[in-house]
Amino acid sequence: MPDLAGIVIIAAVGMAGYWLFPDNLALLTRIVAVALLVLSIDLVTGYCGVATLGQAALFGAGAYAAGIACVNGMTEPLTLVLIGAVAGAVAGLLMGSVMLRAHGLAQLVLSIAIVQLFHEAANKASAYTGGSDGLSGLMVSPLFGVFAFDLWGKTAYLFGLSLLVFVFIALKFVVSSPFGILCRGIKEDPIRVRAMGAFVFPVLLKMFAISGAVAGIGGALAAISTQVVGLDSVSFELSANALVMLVLGGLGTLYGALAGTVIFMGFEHMVSAINPFHWMTMVGALLIGVVLAAPSGLSGLLGTISRATTRGKGGRG
Amino acid sequence: MKAAKRILGVAVGALMLGASSVAADTIKVGIIGPFSGPFALQGKNFQAGVEAYMALNGKSVKGHDIEVIYRDLPAANPAQSRALAQELVVKEKVQYLGGVYFTPDAMAITPLLTQANTPLVIFNAATSAIMTQSPLVVRTSFTTAQTTTPLGKIAAERGVKKVISAVSDYGPGVDAEVAFKKAFEAAGGKVVEAIRMPLNTNDFSPIMQRVRDSGADAVFAFLPSGPTTLGFVKAYNETGLKQAGIKFFAPGDLTQESDLPALGDAAVGLLTTFHYAVSHDSPENKRFVEAATKAIGSADQLSFPAVGAYDGMHVIYKMIEATEGKQDAQKAVDAVKGLSWTSPRGPVSIDSETRHITENIYLREVVKGPDGKTYNKEIQTFPNQKDPGLATQ
Repeated sequence: MPDLAGIVIIAAVGMAGYWLFPDNLALLTRIVAVALLVLSIDLVTGYCGVATLGQAALFGAGAYAAGIACVNGMTEPLTLVLIGAVAGAVAGLLMGSVMLRAHGLAQLVLSIAIVQLFHEAANKASAYTGGSDGLSGLMVSPLFGVFAFDLWGKTAYLFGLSLLVFVFIALKFVVSSPFGILCRGIKEDPIRVRAMGAFVFPVLLKMFAISGAVAGIGGALAAISTQVVGLDSVSFELSANALVMLVLGGLGTLYGALAGTVIFMGFEHMVSAINPFHWMTMVGALLIGVVLAAPSGLSGLLGTISRATTRGKGGRG
Repeated sequence: MKAAKRILGVAVGALMLGASSVAADTIKVGIIGPFSGPFALQGKNFQAGVEAYMALNGKSVKGHDIEVIYRDLPAANPAQSRALAQELVVKEKVQYLGGVYFTPDAMAITPLLTQANTPLVIFNAATSAIMTQSPLVVRTSFTTAQTTTPLGKIAAERGVKKVISAVSDYGPGVDAEVAFKKAFEAAGGKVVEAIRMPLNTNDFSPIMQRVRDSGADAVFAFLPSGPTTLGFVKAYNETGLKQAGIKFFAPGDLTQESDLPALGDAAVGLLTTFHYAVSHDSPENKRFVEAATKAIGSADQLSFPAVGAYDGMHVIYKMIEATEGKQDAQKAVDAVKGLSWTSPRGPVSIDSETRHITENIYLREVVKGPDGKTYNKEIQTFPNQKDPGLATQ
């Protein structure tokens, strides 16, 4: 049961973060929200082979849907997460049905166009979204009527961590189901899958909807914990950053997505606190280093190392 | 060995006692701003303002040492803003928060203030609504409505009847459009057409054509500072609108001093209204410019965020004085309500109701100095302007 062990490790690392960095819970919550976004990219890029630089459109859809619902009086956090997930899934269907018409580079360009359109729509609809001033005034009611989302951020973090673990378990089932394996097949060779008699488009579209729901949950979590939704949540920059984190961690493994997010954002936070003026050089150096040393991401590097050691021992691999 | 340790302990204790009687404690101030990325120059101006104030007024207040902690927020990102503010309050134990360049970032911090028992002194973020989000916010910058409103009167006084407005399609642009229209139509003029341009427009010749076709006597513009403004002003010159006698009005964001070298001669003659010009003629400003130039490294980089930060530090110093170094956000904010002083920009005060700064707004014209460099020359003063955005609420 390696999956069970993995899930226990994620929960344990999450709780360790809670005990070790009690003063940085807002940062850790932000990492959890972005981790959900990175997981959602992994579903379409890592498992289906559809590269996207527009995933923040789905994250933002969830964030704005939850935010607008909250401002209009629906303040129960679990309901807001559900609203975010539904909005993300709908946006995912929309995005998928457009993007899947194209292939390769054209597809990537379409994804950028879609996120820009979402961004402009959110900017234009300032009566609902607050435009570039951001949607503020989200008064989320306490979780289960008891635990308030406050300055110290304990509720927000534990809530986010539980969501992450829950989503992760659900996704483990999804990717190892026949549907998930079919997705991988499509990634390897779509023509052959089609020749076998399977329909490619609806399968990929379904994955887009699931991916949208995951990104939407991330967006809703960001909205709930920050109490403000800004245009940055539907930006190209966020999409690109999230893709960088995924590549850093390694495509096509859910663990890689999580590890990439934690390492990238943790490193970024650390160096920007040490030198708030010139820290970006350090992040650039880290990325170049990783790409040179481990082209298939950190999880790929781990795989190579473990294969090398088992071979060295003459084990069965 | 034990005795030696004891002696050492006593010595260290005595030393610490001695030190503590000189400087009772350290009060930390957390400054959040864009210190890297495309807006790094604005963040550098924050830092220059803070350092200039501390160089001129000392690094302690009534025996309390002041320590400033900078945190970088390169672009508008409310989630990161909240995380940084939370860390500064909970981990670094800052007693005061300051800075903040973008409105959404300020909006993300305001819900924390009451629980954190920490005032937030805003050095820039210029949307009126921030002030209503928390009673613990004080602002030492300006709002777009505040700097734009006098322009309506000026345009009417200069015989302009019809104006076409062209603004970037985002929050501050729309604020400027609305404020100008209100002031200009109150003065008897008419805005014949209002163009909203996408933020990343680079080719402005179609816009200039619309300006010409509209038959307006003048164009009112608002764009974010940087390359877009440069493109807009160049297009205004090159398409012959300037030669055709169509006047150009804008808030001072467009001709901030750090952009003037890039605009070059194209900017000469532009009329803008703003709360601060580096060229402002007063002994306070001379002192400020000298100290801030030393902090930022080059006189060409100095612009308005520095004076917002300088006056922000003044407010924070006054707060520390009033609370005797104890953490009491409400008392600190109450102490600066109605506070008035002479800033490098001229006489200013904190409005006791809105907690926003009341200041002079100046009409300036870009002119060429004797050294061949262009600068904003103040030619008319509108004293004691409050924020009209807050007054109407």
